[in-house]
Amino acid sequence: MFNNLIFIILFMLGFYALIMKTNLIKNVIGLNLMEAAVFFWVISFSDIGGEVSIYKLGEEITKFNDPVPQALTLTGIVIGASTAALLLTLIIELNKFTGTIDRDELEGLND
Amino acid sequence: MSWMNIELVLLISLPALTAVIMYFSAGFNQRARNTFAITGAALEVYLVFSLFIDNFEAVKNSDFFLQYTIGYADTPFVINFAMDNLSLLFSMIVTVAIFLIVIFSTQYIKDKENLYFGLFFLVLASIQGSILTADLFTLYLFIEAITIFTTPLISFKKTEATTRAAMQYLFYGITGGVFFFISVILIYFNLGTLKMAAVAESFAVISIPMQLTIIIFFLLALFIKLGIFPIHFWLPRAHSACPAPISALLSGVLLKVYLYIFMRLFWTMIAFDFLVELHLAAFVLDLALVSSLIGHIFALQADNLKKMLAYSSIGHIGMILAVLLLNTEAAFYGGLLHIIAHLMMKSGLFLSSGYLLRTTLSHHIEDLKGIGHKNRLVFIAFIIICLGTIGMPPLIGFVSKWYVLLAFLEARHFFGAFVVVAGSIISLIYYLRYISQAYEKIKTETPSLKEELLSLKAFFKSTNIMKNVIYVFTLFIIFFGLTFKFFEMPVDTAIFELLNPQKYIELVLGG
Repeated sequence: MFNNLIFIILFMLGFYALIMKTNLIKNVIGLNLMEAAVFFWVISFSDIGGEVSIYKLGEEITKFNDPVPQALTLTGIVIGASTAALLLTLIIELNKFTGTIDRDELEGLND
Repeated sequence: MSWMNIELVLLISLPALTAVIMYFSAGFNQRARNTFAITGAALEVYLVFSLFIDNFEAVKNSDFFLQYTIGYADTPFVINFAMDNLSLLFSMIVTVAIFLIVIFSTQYIKDKENLYFGLFFLVLASIQGSILTADLFTLYLFIEAITIFTTPLISFKKTEATTRAAMQYLFYGITGGVFFFISVILIYFNLGTLKMAAVAESFAVISIPMQLTIIIFFLLALFIKLGIFPIHFWLPRAHSACPAPISALLSGVLLKVYLYIFMRLFWTMIAFDFLVELHLAAFVLDLALVSSLIGHIFALQADNLKKMLAYSSIGHIGMILAVLLLNTEAAFYGGLLHIIAHLMMKSGLFLSSGYLLRTTLSHHIEDLKGIGHKNRLVFIAFIIICLGTIGMPPLIGFVSKWYVLLAFLEARHFFGAFVVVAGSIISLIYYLRYISQAYEKIKTETPSLKEELLSLKAFFKSTNIMKNVIYVFTLFIIFFGLTFKFFEMPVDTAIFELLNPQKYIELVLGG
C-alpha cells in the first residue's frame, strides 16, 4: 500500500497549497499537485506487472496491463494542462490590473 | 442505425461545427454572422423538437428511447449516447432557452463576436453532450468542457472584477472536476466498467465504505458545481461579473444541467436507496434547505442587482434539490416543474437586467434610479418576471412553488414547507427594494451625460430584438402559468424514468 500513502501525502500537500497559501501561483501548483497525485495513483493501481497491451505479431500476451486507466489519465492530463494554462493566463491578466498576485491583498481591494 | 439515432450525435456535433464557423467569422459582416448564429441555434431546436414530435406516441407511453454507440459495444470503455424521456425534456427546455439567449446576444455583444459565439456554441455542444451521454468518463469530459469554455466567457469584458470572478470560478470548477474524476476512477477499479447502466446493475457489489467514498466525492463535486451552501462563494461573483446573456446561461441553464446530472447519477446510476441506506439523503436534504434559506437571506443584503439575482438562484436551486430528494412522485412533479419555471424566470430576469442597465457601468442599486421611467415596458416585464419568481398566482412561478409546497406537506417535512414560504416572503422584500428604487424621481443630469446616454440609446434602438426576447420570456411566464398542464405529459414521463430506472438500464445494456 506504498502507492496509497504517496497518493494521500501528495494530495494533501496539494490541497494544503490550494487552501492555505495566499499566492495564486502556489494555488495553481497545489491544484496541479492534486491532479498529479490522482493520476499517479490511477497508473500505479492499474499496473499489475504485465505487458504493454499492444497487439504484436506472432506473440501471445497472456498478462497485460489494463489500458483504460491509462487512456483516462492521458485525457485527464490534457484537461489539467489546459486548465492550468487558462488559470495562469487569468492570473497574468489580474496582475496587469492590480499589480499583485496575493489572494489576501486582492480581497483587501475594493470590488 | 436509423436517422433518429444519428440525430443524437448531430445534436452534439452541430453546435460544435457552428462554433468553428463562428470562430472564423471575424471577416464576415455582422448580418451574415448573426444569421449563422441564429440558424445554428434554430437547427438545434428543430432537431430536438423533431425527435419529440416524431416519437410523440412513444413519449406519451413513456417507452421512448434512442441510443447511438461509437466503438465496440462490449468493451468497458465505449462512447455511448442515449436519450430517454428525462433527457428529452431537459434537451428541449435547454435548447429553447439557449436559442432565445443567442438571439439576445446578437444585439447585446458589440465586439469580438466571433470569439463570443464560438465559445457559446462550444458550451451548447458540451451541455448537449453531458445531457445525452450514457457513460461516466464522457460525462466527466463534458462537465470539464463546460467549465473550461464558460471561463473565458465570464471574463469576456476584461476588467479586474471579471478576471477575479473567472479565476475563482475556474479554481472551484477544477477542484470539483478532480473530485468527480476520483469517483469515476474508483468505480472503474471496483466494477471494471464505466457504462452508467452496467454500474447501476452491480453497484451493490461494492463494499459499503467504498460506496460511501464514491457517493461523497460525487456529492462534493456536484455541490461545488451547484453552489450549495458551504461552497457557494464563487457563484454570485461569477454569475454577476459576466455579460447579461452569459449570466442567463450560467444561472438559468447550466445550473439545471447540473441538476439533471445529479438526477442521472443518483437515481439512474446509483439507486436512491443507497443514499437512504447510508443516511445521506436526510442530511443532504437539510443541507439543501439551509442553503436555500441562506441564499435568500444573502440576497437581502446584496447591493448589486445581478448579485442579488445570483443569490436568489442559490435559494431556488437549494429548494429544487431538497424537493427532489424527498423521492416521491409529487416531489418530482414539483421539482421538475420548478426547474422549467426557474429556467424561464431567471434567464428572463438576467436578460432584462442586462437590457435595463446596458448604459451604466455597474449594476449597483443606485444605478437603478429612474430606470422605471426610462424603459417603461421593459421594466413592467421585469416586474412581472419578479412576481413570477416570488410566486404570484397567475404566473408559472406560483404553480411550481405550489406543487413544491404540496410535496413537502405531503411528506410531512415542515421545515421544507417553511423554507418555501419564507423564501417567497424574503424574495418579495428584496425585489421590492429594487423596484421601488427604479421608480424614484430622476434628478437633473448634466447635459453632456444626457447627450451621451441619448446617443447610446439611439445606437441600441436601431432594432429592438433584445426587448422582444424579454417580452417572449414574459409571455412564456404568463402563458405557461395559465396552461401549465401543457408540461404535464413530458414531466410525467420524465418522472416515470426517475421512478423506473430499470427501463433505461435494460435498454442501454440490451443494444
